[in-house]
This record gives sequence, C-alpha cells and structure tokens, in this order.
Amino acid sequence: MNPLLAVENLCVSFAGQHAVDAVSFELNAGECLALVGESGSGKSVTARSLLGLSGGRVSAEKLVVCQEDALTLTEPAWQKIRGSSVVMILQDALMALDPLRPVGREIEDVLKEHGTLNRAARSTKVLEALASVDLPDPERRMKQRSTQLSGGMRQRVLIAQALIGDPQIVIADEATTALDSRLAALVLKQLAALKDEGRAVLMISHDLAQVAQLADRIAVMRSGKIVESGTTEQILNHPQHEYTRTLLRAIPSGVPRFAPLSTKAITSEPRQLPPTDPDATPALVVENLSKSFSRHPAVIEAGFVLPRGSTLGLVGESGSGKTTTARMILGLERPDAGSVTLLGERFAPHGEAARRNLRENIGAIYQNPLGSFDPRYSVGQILTDALSAGRSKRGSGYKDQVARLLEQVELDPDLSGRNPRELSGGQRQRLAIARALAPEPQVLVLDEPVSALDVSIQATVLDLLDRLQQETETSYLFISHDLSVIEHMSDLVAVMYQGRIVEQGSTAEVFGDPQHEYTRSLLTAMPRLR
Amino acid sequence: MSRTAKILSLLFIAFWVLTAFVPALIAPADPLAINPSQAFQAPSGAHIFGTDESGRDVFTRVIHGAGDSLYIGLAATALGMGLALVLGTAAALAPRWLDEVILRVLEALYSVPSLLMALLIIAFTGPGVGPAIVAVGLSTAPGYARLVRSQIRTLKNSEMLEAATVLGRGTWRKVRNHLVPNALQPLLALVTLGIGQAVIWAAALSFLGLGTPPPAPEWGAMLSAGRTYLHLAWWLSFFPGLAIVVVAAGATLIGRALGGKVKAI
Repeated sequence: MNPLLAVENLCVSFAGQHAVDAVSFELNAGECLALVGESGSGKSVTARSLLGLSGGRVSAEKLVVCQEDALTLTEPAWQKIRGSSVVMILQDALMALDPLRPVGREIEDVLKEHGTLNRAARSTKVLEALASVDLPDPERRMKQRSTQLSGGMRQRVLIAQALIGDPQIVIADEATTALDSRLAALVLKQLAALKDEGRAVLMISHDLAQVAQLADRIAVMRSGKIVESGTTEQILNHPQHEYTRTLLRAIPSGVPRFAPLSTKAITSEPRQLPPTDPDATPALVVENLSKSFSRHPAVIEAGFVLPRGSTLGLVGESGSGKTTTARMILGLERPDAGSVTLLGERFAPHGEAARRNLRENIGAIYQNPLGSFDPRYSVGQILTDALSAGRSKRGSGYKDQVARLLEQVELDPDLSGRNPRELSGGQRQRLAIARALAPEPQVLVLDEPVSALDVSIQATVLDLLDRLQQETETSYLFISHDLSVIEHMSDLVAVMYQGRIVEQGSTAEVFGDPQHEYTRSLLTAMPRLR
Repeated sequence: MSRTAKILSLLFIAFWVLTAFVPALIAPADPLAINPSQAFQAPSGAHIFGTDESGRDVFTRVIHGAGDSLYIGLAATALGMGLALVLGTAAALAPRWLDEVILRVLEALYSVPSLLMALLIIAFTGPGVGPAIVAVGLSTAPGYARLVRSQIRTLKNSEMLEAATVLGRGTWRKVRNHLVPNALQPLLALVTLGIGQAVIWAAALSFLGLGTPPPAPEWGAMLSAGRTYLHLAWWLSFFPGLAIVVVAAGATLIGRALGGKVKAI
C-alpha cells in the first residue's frame, strides 16, 4: 500500500535560513504520527508545507500528498486538495473562525467549495458533522457565532469543519494546547475515532504526554531536524537521543515534589521543607471571597489557608475564577464579600493607603511577564525600581543587589543593560521572578507562570521556583490549569470550578482520592507517562 | 530610524530653528525694503527666488517668514496638545459620569471641521497672529484629547501598572514614572505630525487674510498676495508654497519615523 504522505529530505527556508532541514517521514492510512518539538523547532512549518502553505522556499526529494506529487502542484491544484484530501485543525479556534458569521456557514463553505450539494442537503450535512463531534444542541449552535461558543465547542466546530470534506489526512496543529485536560481528552477521542475510520492523522504538539495517548509513532524535532523517531513505545521507554530524554524528564506529572525536572538543576536529591509549625500564623488566609461582574458571579465564597513556606496549587479551567481570586488576594480587585489576611494582618478589603506598607510582603508573577514591565526600562532599571519599593530603602547603590538578584534566578548579570524585549520567554519569566523577589516577600502569587513556556524551559523555571522556595521559605499560591504542574509543585491543592472551590486538601489526598465529580473527571483525563 | 535618517531629521530641524530665530544669518537683506525699479524680476543670480510687485526679494521674505509661520504652527500645536493632555487625562482618570460628559463635549467639537471651527473663532476675535494661534490650537485639541484619553485608559488598565501597585507604589508615583512617560512617547510622533498640519492651517488662515497682517512676510499671506500676479510672476506664490510643503512634509516624515519607532516598542 502506498503511504498517504511521503516526505523525503524536506527543506523549507525563509530568507536563506533553514526552518526545516532534511526532514523525512511517511504516514499511512489509519495511522497517527506525532511531530513533537518546542517552539521554533520547525514542526508547524513542516505541517504547513504539506498543505502548500509554508510561505517559504520548499525543496524536497519527494513530497507526495494523497498520491499527488506536491512539488509540482499549482495554487489552484492545492486549493482542490485542501479541505477535501488534507485538512488542518488549528490551535486557536477563536482566530480560525470568522467572528461575524454563524459557525454553520463557516462549515458549509467547505461543501460549497468542493461539492455539488444543494442548500438543503448541505445544511443537513453540517448538522450531521456537528452531531458527529458531540456538539450539544447542534441545531441551535450552528446558527451562533464563534464568540458565543465556549472554547471546547469552538474546537469541536473546527473538527467538524475539517471532517465535512471527508479528508484522508488530518493534520492537528496543537489542537489541544489551549484546552483543559477534560476538553483535550474529548478532542483526542475525536482524533482517535478518525484514525479508526482509516484516516491518517498527523499530530503536531509540544506535549509528549498528550501525543503518547494517540500516536503510533513519534518524531522528535529540534531546530528544523528530526533528532529521533520511532514507535511511541520506543520513544517513551527507550529514548536514544539526549534531547528526547530532556523532554521526557521535563514532564512534571508523577515527579515527586522538589525533584528536579531539568538537567540544569543543581540538586539531585529531592529535599523537603522543614516541617512548619502548625501554630504559626498562616502566610495567607482567604475567607469567603466573592466577586461578581455585572451580576455574573465570577468567584463564589472561595476560601483556603496557605501555611508558611508551603505551596498551595489552585487548579481549574479558564474562566473558573482563578485569576479573579488572585487579583482579589493581591488587592487589585475589590471583593464583594469576604476577606484576605496576610501574615495575620487584614489585607483585603482595605484602603490602598492603609494596605501599602503590607505590600512588600506579597509579590506577583504573571503569565505574560513582558506586559508587566515598563517598556522603557532596562533589566537593571526594572530590578532597581523593585528594590527601591522593598525593605532595602537605601536610595542608591542597588547595583550589587541587582547582580545578586540576577544570579539568584540564574540570569547573567551582564543582561542588566538589556531591554526585556531582547530576552527569551524563559529569561523574561526569570526576570519577573527576580523582580517579585526583590522586596523579599513572604508570599508569592504565581498566575500561570509557566503556561506560555516550552516544556524544557518550563522545567528549568519550575526547578528554579523550587530552589528559591527552599532557600527563602517563601509561600507560593500557584495558579495553573495544568494538573501535572500543580501536582509536582504543590503541598496543598484547591480545585476551582465555575467560581467555587469544589475540593481542597493535600496533594496526595486530592490526586489520590478525589471526592468531587469535577476533580475526578479532570484526573481521568490527565495524560500520564509515569 | 536609521542613522542617516536621524542625522537628516536633526539637520532639517536645526536649519528651520536657525531660520526662525536668526533669519538675517541666511538672508541678511531687509524683507520689507521696497525697490519698485526691481519689481517682478524672475529668479536669477542676484535674486534667487526673484522679486515681488514692490521689488522686495522673495528669498529674503520666505526666510524671514519662517519665524511667523513656524511660530503659529508650534504655538498652536502646543496649545492644542496642552489642552488635550489636561482634558484627555482628566477624562481617562475621572469617574465614569465625568468621562462621559467630557467625551460628549469632545465629540461635539470634533464633529465640526477644524478649519471651519478656526474660522468661527476668528469671526469672534478678529484676525491676527494671536487669534490664529488660538483658532488652530483650539480646533486641533478635541482630536488630540481623544487620543490622549484612549492612550491613558489603555495604560491605566495595563499589567505594568498593576505590577507597580503590587510593588506598593502610590498613585502619584505610578502616574509620574509609568503613565505619563509611556503615554507621551507615542504622542511625540503625533505632535510632530501635527506641527506640519498646523503650519498649513496657519498659512491657510493668513492666505484668507485672517492671520499675519501685511506687509509682514508670512508664507500664507505671500501666497495670497502673489496669486494676483500668478500669470506673469509664478515665483511670487511658488516659493512660499514650496516652503510650506517642505516644512509640512518634513514634519510629517519625521513624525512617521518617530511613530514607527514607537510601534516597534
């Protein structure tokens, strides 16, 4: 049997720079191949060149897509193939769908382009397609616009759109990345069904744990090259290449607390925090916090206690109220009810002026650190500014302290003259951590601090946070949608769902014996390698 | 901005500043000195821009006219932007109802074409340099104010300011260290663009006889005076017109370049 996809020595270059360098693979019907790599590895460019969309200069010894020699295809010929033989499911469903048109019409477009059906037949097919991806109430949903649907629904609409042309090859480019584990599991189930129907599935992802659930074979990409490929079993259990091992080690699920995830980490022995005195004042006490936005409740009676020197993981899907909770704790949003007590003193609700001298006890780290820096400031100025806000109010002579902070977060002190825009994502987050630590706070609120980072970078940042906690005994409120990160980082876990904390307890309790239905569904859906 | 572009922009600005403040350095003759026997001389070695109907040297008058034209342009922009900063910042930081009130007033003013509004103002004040400045300044203010307001509103809700709040910074310090400098940077480009526009409007008012009174050399007034003789002495209108175009285009180009730099940030 001829493979549906045959790629030999594919090279794609942009302005003379190779983004994809001599990549070869094959994909048969009824098979799933995963291209795994971090941002900039060339995996998406590879996928796009299979649709004639790379936008760069493509060369290959062989590039066969559905029995057609893709190297000779013209743009009109590509248009025939796209949507009918090969389709791509994109990561960001909100961007991929026109916000001004009903989603049903968006799907119907594919049929108009490739078929001869009349209007009534088309809309029946759209309905069928939406029903086949388990979209609830498809008749109502097809008339709605993408902005009226939830993230999971939008992703399913995209899958329905991809499938309606009955394609032989389905390319899923980070199709599950933006979704929480429950929805990701749903999408994976859909993809698995496609594979069982005899279609070929090419998965593009940065997440080894996730692709392992579906892929028959995995190819690991780095800097435009495939560094290792093999069956899923081989790659997971007997990785040959050092980079594959780095990626596998970086997956936090099942790794004991304080055990390093990256090779860079200095300690090899997992250390434990000294046991905390149960009678000591907790770092943070949150009681009955509630907040509504225009009568729509965002947080309902959230409450928890963060003991000193430990980490509480707050987990939940997007829109569950995690960030609003964090903002109320940080005194950025005034709660409608409830209170926040920081180190035994009332912090919120409270007047800003009265609260200001307590502020040095609490710091924050955001998902997108760049937005939180003044664009005019250099690295050194950002840290100097933060130092002058803290305890060490010396007026001048912060240079040594800036260097010390940079060393503490494993950044080169020579970077202090640079602008944060010139730093990589991982370096920016380290800078954000250094800034948060500058006033020597007792509590750090980390809102999705590693969600925007590649897994191997995420591993080094998590290791850094571990090390800093051991050194400084800072208490962390760690917010994430990623269960495996939460499991690895937290002593205590609180699960948030639709504005309420539905379950909380020690990490072992919550992950080992979940009580609430939602927690159970999250945990079942969570991909595990170990 | 490239290095060459920077040097060229600086030279351009330096030249016009010099021209405006010490025109005698470039054109030592008296711009008002009449010499009827030399009237309507075409451009030549002796009078590179030619002479006008009274035999005055057009080059000398264009150079001496820079002062008034640029003065009106700069002063009007400064007035407009100053008003806009106050109104825009107030609207952005004010409680919702006050913001709404300021916004509605700005929108009402904005709906009147700027030049028409300038004419309206001069209808009350009478012509002259001062009224021209006020007229152009006031008519540009609403547009700037809306931009200032949106700029500050965006910054007000930025993570940058939240980060400063978390660090325990007070309102005044946040405004001074983060809000104002970051809001001003993109406005700098806008101001440069605006100067070019204001110079054109100032000239337009003088052209209509509502700005600088004759016989003082002002580009718009010269353009207007030369209009009568356009069929026999094109240089009377051409060179003042060229000066307006050069200044406006130069300011626009520099403004664009600054705008590009700001966007890159």
